[in-house]
Amino acid sequence: MRTLFNNSKPITLVVLFNIMAFGLLFFRNQNVEIIYYGLTVIGIICFVYFFLQWRQWGDVYLFIIVTMLISIGLIMIFRLDEDLGIRQVMLFSGGMVLFLLSYLIFNSLKFWHKLTYFYIGSSLLLFIITLAFGRTIGGATNWISFYGISIQPSEFIKIIFIFFLASYYNTPDKLKIPPIKISDKTIEIKNNIILTIVAYGYMGFLVLQREWGGALLMFLIHITLLFVFEEDIKVILMNIAFAIVGALGGALFVYHIKVRIDVWIDPWADIAGKGYQITQSMFAIGSGGFFGRGLGLGSPKYIPEVETDFIFSAICEEFGIFGGVAIILLYFILVYRGFKIALSVENTFYKAIALGITAMFGFQTFIIIGGVIKLIPLTGITLPFISYGGSSLTTNFIALAILQAISKDAYSGMGGKYE
Amino acid sequence: MYELIATIFKYIFTLIIYVFIFSIIRMIYLDIRSMKGYSKKGIEAYPYLKLINRREKFDFKLFESYILDEDKSIGRSNRNEISIQDPYLSSEHVRIYIEEDICLIKDLGSTNGTFLNDEQIEEESVVLNDGDRIHIGQLDFIFVSKDEEE
Repeated sequence: MRTLFNNSKPITLVVLFNIMAFGLLFFRNQNVEIIYYGLTVIGIICFVYFFLQWRQWGDVYLFIIVTMLISIGLIMIFRLDEDLGIRQVMLFSGGMVLFLLSYLIFNSLKFWHKLTYFYIGSSLLLFIITLAFGRTIGGATNWISFYGISIQPSEFIKIIFIFFLASYYNTPDKLKIPPIKISDKTIEIKNNIILTIVAYGYMGFLVLQREWGGALLMFLIHITLLFVFEEDIKVILMNIAFAIVGALGGALFVYHIKVRIDVWIDPWADIAGKGYQITQSMFAIGSGGFFGRGLGLGSPKYIPEVETDFIFSAICEEFGIFGGVAIILLYFILVYRGFKIALSVENTFYKAIALGITAMFGFQTFIIIGGVIKLIPLTGITLPFISYGGSSLTTNFIALAILQAISKDAYSGMGGKYE
Repeated sequence: MYELIATIFKYIFTLIIYVFIFSIIRMIYLDIRSMKGYSKKGIEAYPYLKLINRREKFDFKLFESYILDEDKSIGRSNRNEISIQDPYLSSEHVRIYIEEDICLIKDLGSTNGTFLNDEQIEEESVVLNDGDRIHIGQLDFIFVSKDEEE
């Protein structure tokens, strides 16, 4: 047992896990294609892992932790719905290509910190496109589709938002507007006030799209970076005060938020209607017990949207509480790794991006897992790397590639602040 | 039949995931230990180079001290045991090695030269004594040997 612990390389365990799980699914569905898809997944994981090690592309732990998460996610989606599983494997392959490409692009271009206004402009454009041409799915107007491909621009805006914040903290004076002269008085607006206005503008657009989870996530990222980089405590307090007013206003006057809070407090009152989803989720988690019912033996199909937002409940049902805790632990290590990269890199821009991306992974996990286990009111958001969904998966892989690129800098030593 | 296998497999899955987490944490732990050079023997047992300059002055990664537990070469290239991205260093600048408990320094044909106590050294080995000042590129180090330390 001791030699097993000491000699097992993490990549071997990921491969072993995949072989066993895909083999089990093949035995269950009696469909040879599953074996092919399983081998594709294993092949891609091994190829990218050894490629990263060979080229010394930064921190390998980040990628290896994510491969475990993605394996669990793929297997769960395959078990829930084979067609979606096949699509997710395709998306995963595409995401891996995108991962390597974004690594190269992010690393080869050195002017990311100068594009502050470009970030604001491009996200504004995406928001307007979404509001004008967006389709409404599940209560939120956040999908645009062209030529049969639906994407969710708000996912990509998250990364642009992080880039915007980082470029601001690198050179805060850039966002300064010239003093306004009204008759004899000159009003000077501080740049951190402008930052606050822009950040809340982002959240405002998300609220207009009724994407509460996204708005909450952006607020948490914003407040984290503000807390770390802003020296003026008044601005931090002002931001928190804004948020409290906004949250109270939303909870009292916005119907959608009120419903969610009511369901959170007492889902049993309307178990057949509004509380159905969350109660089914809790039944699923409860029926799993410690070790789960076994892959393919549970009945997670009763939960609506189990492939995307509620996949954690399905994992808890079939892999048990231990499986669920393991998922949370994996996110813990991922976030720890991200923080370590943010601490060891010396360039302010890269530091802020690494911290922002890490905060994004961490808070996103907290919001959705907290939501499905009824710890906090439920907001629809995807579980990073595990949930089904193209936009979410590709966004997360782009974010991971950026973190990976920064980790290379952190270790080879390319610090300093860009001017 | 499927149920039986799935039931057995669920325990194996849990075991695999936890062994995976454990091995990652263990690797991270080893990684931290080797990166910081805080191993138990670490600073007391081996001679080391101490940086005199303030690290904030430079825009590349530097550590406060570099442990000389084995043959080590310094330079810009990643092939060196100690890689420092100082533009004034050559890709393979200087080598410090231990022979019969004596530390020796040798220039590897660097462009800007290596200075030991303000005197440029040639491409032949020179014995290092405790408190010697080594100047390479833009950096100044003090050599601290273990014996004097105790």
